[in-house]
Amino acid sequence: MKREPNSYAPPAWAEALLRWRCPPEVLEEVEGDLRELYTYWSENFGEREAQRRYIISAVKLQRPFLSSRKTASHPLILKDMINHYLTTALRNITRSKSFSVINIAGLAFGLACSLVILLWVLDEVNVDKFHANDKVLYRVYLKQLYDGQVRADYNTPASLPAELKKAVPEIERATGFVKYFRLSLQDDIYESFSVGDTVVHKMKGSRAEPDFFSMFSYKLLYGKAETALSSPVSLCISKKMAEMFFGSASAAMGRAVRFDGRKDLLVTGVFEDVPFNSSDQFDYLMNWDDWVLENPFKQSWGHFGTSSYLQLRPDADPVMVEAKIKDFLRKYLTENDSWMSSNKRIELGLQPYSDQYLYSTFEEGRPVSGRILYVKLFIGVGAFILVIACINFMNLATARSIKRAKEVGVRKVVGSSRVHLIYQFMGEAILITFFAVLLSLLVVFLLLPAFNLLTTKQITIPLQQPVFYLFLLGLIGVTGIVAGSYPALFLSSLQPVRILKGSFQFNFWTAFFRKGLVVFQFVLSMLLLISTVVISRQTDYVQNKNLGYDRENVLYIPIEGELISKYPLFREEASRLSGVKMVDRSSQFPHAMSFRLDAVEWDGRDGNSVINFALSSVGYDFVKTMDLEIVEGRAFDRNIKSDSTGFLANEEAIRQMGFKDPVGKQISVFGKKGTIVGVLRDFHTNTLHQAIDPLVLDVKEHLDFGTILVRTEKGRTKEAIAGIENLYKHLNPEHAFNYTFMDERYGLLYKSEQIVSKLSNVFALLAIAISCLGLLGLAIFSAEQRRKELSIRKVLGASIGNIVMKFSKDFLTLVVIALTIAVPLAWLMMTDWLSQFAYRIELAWWIFALAGVIAIMISMLTIGAQAVKSAFENPVRNLRSE
Amino acid sequence: MKRTSLGELEELILLIIAVIKDEAYGVPITQMLEKETGRTVDFSTIHTTLKRLEEKGFVKSAMGGATEERGGRRKRYFTITTFGYKALRESQEIRMRLWSLVPLKMNVKSI
Repeated sequence: MKREPNSYAPPAWAEALLRWRCPPEVLEEVEGDLRELYTYWSENFGEREAQRRYIISAVKLQRPFLSSRKTASHPLILKDMINHYLTTALRNITRSKSFSVINIAGLAFGLACSLVILLWVLDEVNVDKFHANDKVLYRVYLKQLYDGQVRADYNTPASLPAELKKAVPEIERATGFVKYFRLSLQDDIYESFSVGDTVVHKMKGSRAEPDFFSMFSYKLLYGKAETALSSPVSLCISKKMAEMFFGSASAAMGRAVRFDGRKDLLVTGVFEDVPFNSSDQFDYLMNWDDWVLENPFKQSWGHFGTSSYLQLRPDADPVMVEAKIKDFLRKYLTENDSWMSSNKRIELGLQPYSDQYLYSTFEEGRPVSGRILYVKLFIGVGAFILVIACINFMNLATARSIKRAKEVGVRKVVGSSRVHLIYQFMGEAILITFFAVLLSLLVVFLLLPAFNLLTTKQITIPLQQPVFYLFLLGLIGVTGIVAGSYPALFLSSLQPVRILKGSFQFNFWTAFFRKGLVVFQFVLSMLLLISTVVISRQTDYVQNKNLGYDRENVLYIPIEGELISKYPLFREEASRLSGVKMVDRSSQFPHAMSFRLDAVEWDGRDGNSVINFALSSVGYDFVKTMDLEIVEGRAFDRNIKSDSTGFLANEEAIRQMGFKDPVGKQISVFGKKGTIVGVLRDFHTNTLHQAIDPLVLDVKEHLDFGTILVRTEKGRTKEAIAGIENLYKHLNPEHAFNYTFMDERYGLLYKSEQIVSKLSNVFALLAIAISCLGLLGLAIFSAEQRRKELSIRKVLGASIGNIVMKFSKDFLTLVVIALTIAVPLAWLMMTDWLSQFAYRIELAWWIFALAGVIAIMISMLTIGAQAVKSAFENPVRNLRSE
Repeated sequence: MKRTSLGELEELILLIIAVIKDEAYGVPITQMLEKETGRTVDFSTIHTTLKRLEEKGFVKSAMGGATEERGGRRKRYFTITTFGYKALRESQEIRMRLWSLVPLKMNVKSI
């Protein structure tokens, strides 16, 4: 079967394979040789065998197998070098232990802080993002425009969502939602449920329309999303609540539950417990229409008291829809002139549902800020601390370079290229960062429980998510490269001749750069320190300011159920209990009167002006119970019959009404006419973010809502509570007894400030600690550099004090420079932060001075030890060699 | 510097180059190695070995002599250098010397 030699040719694809990655400089000869061999193999062993051999050779001649000698070194040598680098790195770490500890610990704490902050930020940003319809869910907000002002909030009429869905085709689904029953009592809704005769539980919940479960991704375990809320007796409960009453979720369906001691409901749905990252938290939901029917005032289009959530069609343009609904309320409100007039307008706006958690503060009628401020603030702090830690690392590594300069010199002489040195130092930095990340994970792991407690969150390390590991890798890479860049670039640039000759000195620019880093680091720490002092002082101020009333030892008890009719009895009985000083009531929480309305009329009032008064209906003993001060006139008196139509006003109200001699003047509130019987000294009716509102009080002891105020005797609160609980169970058996303390509720108003204050304390301390580590590193470095200089000074007669001064002066200069930069910056930042409070502390000079003194003291301590150590060294030792 | 050693395959190929003299390029070297030793060696291995020999300075090479059966591609001819020749001689001498020390009346079974 011999053929002509030329008739044997390797298949084209095999040749293509050979050409693919065969080094070009040998391709020609190899291709030729293989072609000849192919013919030879085909003739001797058959074409099949020839093909096999050709392919084996072609594959083995590819580049990864056949390394091109011109570029790469021997693989064995590469492996040896990596081993060698690792050994050197580990030896360096273990040789100077204190240095490595400073380095790794500093970096680890910096990283841990940033990690914790990152986890927190992720948690914040992901609130409400879990809904499948997230992209098309919107919340309606309502703007009131008058007198050139805009006031906006989320409160809308109860009938709005259903009406919008009917009128606007782009709206696919809509539901109302209740956040508070009474705007005057911005209090989470807790209601009593019972099964059988014995179990009464107070649960947190709300009302919603039938679309609710189809719009939001709260998972229904039992029941149908479309119908779960459609009947007047529908009750959807969480798994937790089902287990509480019936033992299990499956047992709850179709069972009867008594609500508020007055109405029987049927469980029509059981949903998975609402996740923590939802801004709406509820354990039960009930039928919307039935609730509106029960509360006739909710049917009015002029009553703005509930939230409206919309789901748009996927193809709808939200801007268009917003334009469409902007003036939607006009036609419903024209019957009442006061809502829409020449100088007052009501408009609607849309905000993506998942934005409302972070952006809920309205400015100029748009939701533009809110918690996002804190998110941004902490991202900034996290970045600050990471930068400080990186700078630290750079400085320490550079400081050590004096020791390693010789190593670099020798390496260069032996033939290492600059690139290799950069790799080596970067690699070492990444290795140390790796250790630091491991350590920081441990720190985060230990810190998270405390952090969760502080921020009331449920953050865990997301160990299951691959993204997290990618992030860690990225963090190691980026931090390692940033932190290692300066030593790597600097050390590799040294000239071997100069290093090995011993005439190695840092030039002006390297010193300048390193000092610049220290100054930068200290500026950041000072900013944090000053902010911390200011924030914690403002928080203290808010907590301890004299509000004009006594908020200690006061209990709030909600007025509900039979207590509505039995209040007079309760008041009488409770007042007699031991430990109870006084009992009264108010339609609003006195510490946070958020309900304000332009509803006060008096003779001679300018009809066009809009004045929003804080209005509350209280009992006769309110002034005494709250411990308020009367400026003029008297307090309400149960024994004076005309006081049932009397009013108390605060100084601010009198000022705004323009009365010279207020007592006895006639005014009317919501159409109720009466005389002013007394003037109250201004007291804070809301958070210190806001100025004191004009306030008018009247007496109403029969309202079916509001809160009871119980002032207890100091130190006997426990006793009083026990007595009241007994009385409560007797008078209002269908409701669970619950109470809150006024001072605690007041504290809650400043929860975010408190958290920020505590966190910034911790972070500022850490930042300073890390900066000081940096300073310490630099001091050690300097001591090493100037050993001979200081010894000569000593020999020539300098005293220990002289040397310590000489040594410390350089560093203190840096700290002082940092101070002069940081103080104006901090002043600007803090003025801005404080401007959100209507009542705030002065930015006194001493805050800055204190921060400065602290910074200088700490740095003195840090440097001092090194300075003294250098000063006490025996000069003979340092000068003997050479 | 340490003397570069000569591996077994390297030694065989170097010998073959010395034998073929002027016509030594990839193909005849492969064929001869196969014929003389009876074992099949990949062409790639031979190629790599030739490169290594050249790097160590035992052979030198030059391009030339394109033929039709190679699709017009040139060959790389290898010739042995003096250094390579010396290395071959040395290796042979070592073996000879060692062989001369092997006892004549050796009982192979007892090994």
